[in-house]
Amino acid sequence: MKFYVCIKMVPDVTAPLQIKEGELIMDADRVVLNAYDASAVEEALVLTEKHGGEVEVVCIGPAKASETIRKALAMGADKGTHIQTTGDEGYDSTSYATILSAFFKDKEYDVLSLGKQSQDTDSGLTGSMVAEKLDLPYATNAVGLEVEDSKLIVKRQGDTGQEMIELPTPCAVTCSNDMNDPRIPNLKGIMASKRKPIDSIDISSLGLSDEELSPATKTLSYAPKPARKAGQKFEGEADEIARKVAQLLDTEANVI
Amino acid sequence: MSSILTYIAIADGKVKRSSLEVLSHSKKLADAAGFTTEAVIIDPNASNYVEDVQKYGASKIYLVEDALFSEHRNSPLLSALAKIVETVDPKVTAFASTEGTKDILGALAANQKAAVVADVSSFELIDGGIKATRPVMAAKILANVEAKGNKVLVSVRSGSYDLNESPATAEVISVDAGVSEGDLKAKLREIISSTSDTIDLNEAESIVAAGRGVKDDEGKALISELAGVLNAGIGASRALTESGMYDPSLQIGQTGKVVSPQLYIAVGISGAIQHVAGMANSKVIVAINKDPDAPIFEVADYGIVGDLYKVLPPFIEELKKIKT
Amino acid sequence: MDEKFDCIVIGGGVAGLSAALTLARNNMKFLLIERGEFAGSKNVSGGVLWGSDLNKLVPNYWEEEDGGWERFINHRRLTFMDEQSTFSLDFKSKHFNEAPYSGVVVLRSKFDNWLSAKVQEAIDASDFAMDSFIATNIKVDEVLMENDKAVGIRTGEEEFHADSVIIAEGVNNLLTRQVGLQDKYVPADHMLTGIKEVIRFDQKVLEDRFQLNGLSGMSNEFVGWATDGVEGGGFLYTNRDTISLGLVLSIKDMREKKRSPHDLLNHFKTHPTIADAIRGGEIVEYSAHVVSSGDSRAMPKELYKDGILIAGEAANLLMNAGKAIQGMDYAMRSGILAAETIVKAKEQNDYSSAVLREYRAVLNDSYVMKDINNFQDAVHLLHTETMQSKVPNLICDFGRQFFTIKNEPTPKSEKMLLGAIKRHSSLWELIQLGFKARKSL
Ligand SMILES: Cc1cc2nc3c(=O)[nH]c(=O)nc-3n(C[C@H](O)[C@H](O)[C@H](O)COP(=O)(O)OP(=O)(O)OC[C@H]3O[C@@H](n4cnc5c(N)ncnc54)[C@H](O)[C@@H]3O)c2cc1C
Ligand SMILES: Cc1cc2nc3c(=O)[nH]c(=O)nc-3n(C[C@H](O)[C@H](O)[C@H](O)COP(=O)(O)OP(=O)(O)OC[C@H]3O[C@@H](n4cnc5c(N)ncnc54)[C@H](O)[C@@H]3O)c2cc1C
Ligand SMILES: Nc1ncnc2c1ncn2[C@@H]1O[C@H](COP(=O)(O)O)[C@@H](O)[C@H]1O
Repeated sequence: MKFYVCIKMVPDVTAPLQIKEGELIMDADRVVLNAYDASAVEEALVLTEKHGGEVEVVCIGPAKASETIRKALAMGADKGTHIQTTGDEGYDSTSYATILSAFFKDKEYDVLSLGKQSQDTDSGLTGSMVAEKLDLPYATNAVGLEVEDSKLIVKRQGDTGQEMIELPTPCAVTCSNDMNDPRIPNLKGIMASKRKPIDSIDISSLGLSDEELSPATKTLSYAPKPARKAGQKFEGEADEIARKVAQLLDTEANVI
Repeated sequence: MSSILTYIAIADGKVKRSSLEVLSHSKKLADAAGFTTEAVIIDPNASNYVEDVQKYGASKIYLVEDALFSEHRNSPLLSALAKIVETVDPKVTAFASTEGTKDILGALAANQKAAVVADVSSFELIDGGIKATRPVMAAKILANVEAKGNKVLVSVRSGSYDLNESPATAEVISVDAGVSEGDLKAKLREIISSTSDTIDLNEAESIVAAGRGVKDDEGKALISELAGVLNAGIGASRALTESGMYDPSLQIGQTGKVVSPQLYIAVGISGAIQHVAGMANSKVIVAINKDPDAPIFEVADYGIVGDLYKVLPPFIEELKKIKT
Repeated sequence: MDEKFDCIVIGGGVAGLSAALTLARNNMKFLLIERGEFAGSKNVSGGVLWGSDLNKLVPNYWEEEDGGWERFINHRRLTFMDEQSTFSLDFKSKHFNEAPYSGVVVLRSKFDNWLSAKVQEAIDASDFAMDSFIATNIKVDEVLMENDKAVGIRTGEEEFHADSVIIAEGVNNLLTRQVGLQDKYVPADHMLTGIKEVIRFDQKVLEDRFQLNGLSGMSNEFVGWATDGVEGGGFLYTNRDTISLGLVLSIKDMREKKRSPHDLLNHFKTHPTIADAIRGGEIVEYSAHVVSSGDSRAMPKELYKDGILIAGEAANLLMNAGKAIQGMDYAMRSGILAAETIVKAKEQNDYSSAVLREYRAVLNDSYVMKDINNFQDAVHLLHTETMQSKVPNLICDFGRQFFTIKNEPTPKSEKMLLGAIKRHSSLWELIQLGFKARKSL
């Protein structure tokens, strides 16, 4: 099977951040491969190792995003495409979905795999947008994938339980990080990745108009979360502090 | 006249409270703007829920009643919603953010060429669209965003708004989904596990959540007993859903569910930002952890430093006393 | 792809990156391996990079819009501290305002990452653009030896071969020990713990508070009460919009006095002078790291072996004689020298110790070993009880009297000094100390 995995470079949410006059300031070097996309890459690798096939990755982003592509290649993906941006366009999920669908329009594949959401924005929109634009059957929030003949079998995490969904190919799927533990590239993988091809293309080559690309949503500003009031911490004899807190929940917090 | 349309989700034969929260808020916004408040119910027994939905102020209710919707499937749901949004042409279509919503929101936006904002914690109408606030960076900070367009879709985190009854008599309009089983490309093979017998975490007043510190059946039994006493839902950290100790649908956090109960008791959970992202909006947070430096204490209102196996028995006993 | 490398560099700290950059510039085929997520991710320390080697490595580095460094030092301060007072030697000079600077403050995660990008650029420009690598998130488990000569490295199940290995693994030098250049067990009294907080301010507030102008910066070392009787000292360096505040502490002494680095840092921060300096700041990072005491007795037996060179703090190259910590500049110079030695070895196609011993010779000739040897006494002196608490107390006591203006007759300063000496030490002790100090500095 031929997999295309859409991977995104995202800021490391565990890195220190700062809000200055409504703007978010982060260390531009602290970026990672979106964890959900890493799971999507891993799953595609496992399935192609088992059933044969090929894994290509696609990433829209600024120059530095080539490192993210390199990471996926080091994990084992065969080839990468880097769709170049400046990083300052203010693209939202809709813009990315537009770009991705334009890219995939004339490509051959069995499965388009995406992350279920971006770790930094938690939007979770791009996957089903791309599927709709390309008129593909799809499933979101996959926690397991299997290949049966030419079908993709998706175990999907729903609100209250899990569903087994059978998708004819070509199809699209969005992956949860609960699906697997992505491999950490070994040294051979890192070295091999350097010789793997990365196609670098300009957005303009996709024939999209400015209007099609212009995001319908805009982030106006960032703000710190309203602080919670400082809590109380109880240390000491287990029996005593346990009872004490139980009483406070009743008398002080009024939640019992 | 312009309108705000709210999608009403049904689960286990009940209207999801989070949908009514969104409807309550939509009603307020619509009234202030001179819009109508409308709702859509898509379910095999959609008409059963008209009464509940009227109570929260919908003056027009669209029903798509079809056996196709006995289980969640994205493609018929998408078709039905697309058809409704197309014909009703609301300014804003609002959803409660559930896995079901997440499954179709992007596709619906693409289908309707609508501007969309997912998972907001609040939103207001502005000229030509909405302004919303949504937690980002693993819920460490808030982003103020704006979505503009002829059509705008928004999904709202559960617990963001209070329920507010304002009874109306709604005009009820039945709509044909216009899809049949044969049109569907994806096939739902089976539903594997279901936690419908336990309390829905999005609606629970109290939640007891277990983390890796809960090591065995004895610990699990303590969690169940505590939840029982408080009539609380049981949640878990990723460490325990991953290990199979708890059902994956009980995972709370960035990948799992976002909850905001009155009381959240984190037992043996370290408080990784991805977990906290899912529970930091709880009203009162209690943390039980043997490590005094565990980050969970930074968000806890009441922190108990101690071994959960020693803390829980007297804690449960004391709560039982208070309850009776 | 399985062919041999000219060299494998272990560790992407200052020493390893400097070596790698030198190798790349000399058209060598090499592999740099760093176990952190990216170069710098594990190197939480940071401080002042002294000297001008950086300019040799990256000429005119200061011209870059956003280079890897934070501020240049034109203001130095050594502060003696007692419970309530501080008495500082303060030196600020316009001499230091001109590039190349004689010291720049760096935050390691940023600096190392920046330097690593320079290495990548140099690789891309070399003949081995496709054959030299920087590999991160990989830990070297073993240096592979054949007949007591290094032939490559092992990581997990994978083995890679090379004519030579530069070990630049930092202070916790397990591989240096594995290849037999250092005893397996290094006594704890040669090791210190450094802990540091990065505290953020509005940039304007920071610049006003520390009288910074443009990108000028200040370095401040502290002795005395800072460490509450535990052997060690404190430091404060100004970054762009943060300060690095921390302590370097004797592990052994802490253990004996049952103190923890965290608790001592909190102690330090309660001093009125420090409290004033950090008011309104937000702690954005906390880190702790072992650092060598700079005692040359802890150096590996040798810094070379067939196919192996040891550079940077792995070789215990560090100086901490009170006026500053010098570890990064030593790491940089030794990394460069090690790489240059490998380049020569390649020319002669001989990587045996017969050629590699040249490294030791040039290092001995450089300021690195000269300073380390010349200032050993100062290092030992600094770590005496007298220097650690009596002298700072005495100086502050004197300072307090000297600067106090009461409306009554002021004693002569000599008398004040003698009084202070009597209270905190004996004259004899100080004479001894002065004698030692004159010899050692
Ligand atoms: C992209 C991404 C998304 C993620 N999404 C989620 C998510 O949705 N939900 C989620 O939970 N995690 C999520 N994680 C994982 C998260 O980072 C943590 O790994 C996880 O939350 C840890 O679970 P834990 O606190 O139970 O385990 P640990 O971190 O191992 O903590 C166990 C705690 O139990 C305490 N303890 C141990 N024994 C006892 C005892 N006897 N008594 C009292 N205390 C004890 C310990 O002191 C410790 O603090 C995500 C990670 C990533 C990268
Ligand atoms: C709190 C503190 C303050 C300091 N202040 C100053 C100062 O102001 N000025 C100054 O000059 N010096 C200062 N130093 C000292 C300075 O940080 C060190 O001397 C310097 O970092 C040594 O550089 P290095 O490259 O030899 O080692 P390191 O910087 O420690 O780099 C070693 C690298 O090797 C990697 N590594 C280790 N083992 C392996 C392995 N097996 N496989 C792969 N990779 C491995 C590590 O991850 C690390 O990145 C300070 C130190 C501390 C702790
Ligand atoms: N810039 C991008 N390049 C490649 N894929 C992307 C990009 N942005 C989003 N995606 C894909 O869409 C998913 C996230 O969607 P969203 O949460 O809407 O941002 C990611 O996990 C990727 O698979």
